[in-house]
Amino acid sequence: MKTILFAASLAVLGAAASGAAKAENTKRDANAHLYIGWPNNGEVIRGPSVKVWFGLRNMGIAPAGTDLPGVGHHHIIVDAPIPDSAEPIPNDENHLHFGKGQTETVLTLAKGVHTIQLNFADKDHLQFDPPLVSKKITITIK
Amino acid sequence: MKYSVLAALLPLVMFPAALAAEPSPPDSRAYIVWPKNGTVIKGGKFWLRMGLKGMGIAPAGVEVAGTGHHHVIVDSELPAFSEPIPNDPNHLHFGKGQSEARIELPKGTHTLQLLFGDTGHVPHEPPLHSEKITITVK
Repeated sequence: MKTILFAASLAVLGAAASGAAKAENTKRDANAHLYIGWPNNGEVIRGPSVKVWFGLRNMGIAPAGTDLPGVGHHHIIVDAPIPDSAEPIPNDENHLHFGKGQTETVLTLAKGVHTIQLNFADKDHLQFDPPLVSKKITITIK
Repeated sequence: MKYSVLAALLPLVMFPAALAAEPSPPDSRAYIVWPKNGTVIKGGKFWLRMGLKGMGIAPAGVEVAGTGHHHVIVDSELPAFSEPIPNDPNHLHFGKGQSEARIELPKGTHTLQLLFGDTGHVPHEPPLHSEKITITVK
């Protein structure tokens, strides 16, 4: 009787735990590679405009919301760290979304030093598993 | 009665492609980021880096305004813009939404030219194509 109760309580706990878990992050090809094609780390650019070219290998691009395997869309993180894996990437001046499938953009940045990092995410702006991020680069706007 | 129906259908028969072309915005363009015209590639394998300004990428079959997918024409001329881009060794399709592709070419001189196409592989109006570049594989 005790054994049955014990097993039943474990089952309930297990069900409760899985029910409380958030949506899993979508697995992605381990060979996917995200990089900033331009600008280079350390670049000094006469601002305020700077073109950014998004490099992506071994995955495809689709507009946000498109439900297909092996695709996602670009985000640029400006002067901020990579966001938490559990939440969708926020949408604000530090987290720029390219949900129309763009592969480049022109940023307007104030004079000074800035960090830029690409973050490729899924149709719901959630991180892949593992997250697909570029190196973080530092540029100076003159 | 019959003649008016025929008259209404006639433009569709005469200009079927007029319904098909997706617009491309002004200032949009497709361009090859790498290789450059005149690049010499040793070994024949390289990453073709495809640039796109003013539009977005979507996989073939996805219908979203302002999007399409890349094609590269290898050692051939631009096809007719009113037709879907053919699918053969001279016309490579990147219908999975790639912005880069691993290409392998035999030794010799080759031409490469990008041509952007819509969800049905039909070039936009006006068509987005890059300049034709020439590379050498050693």
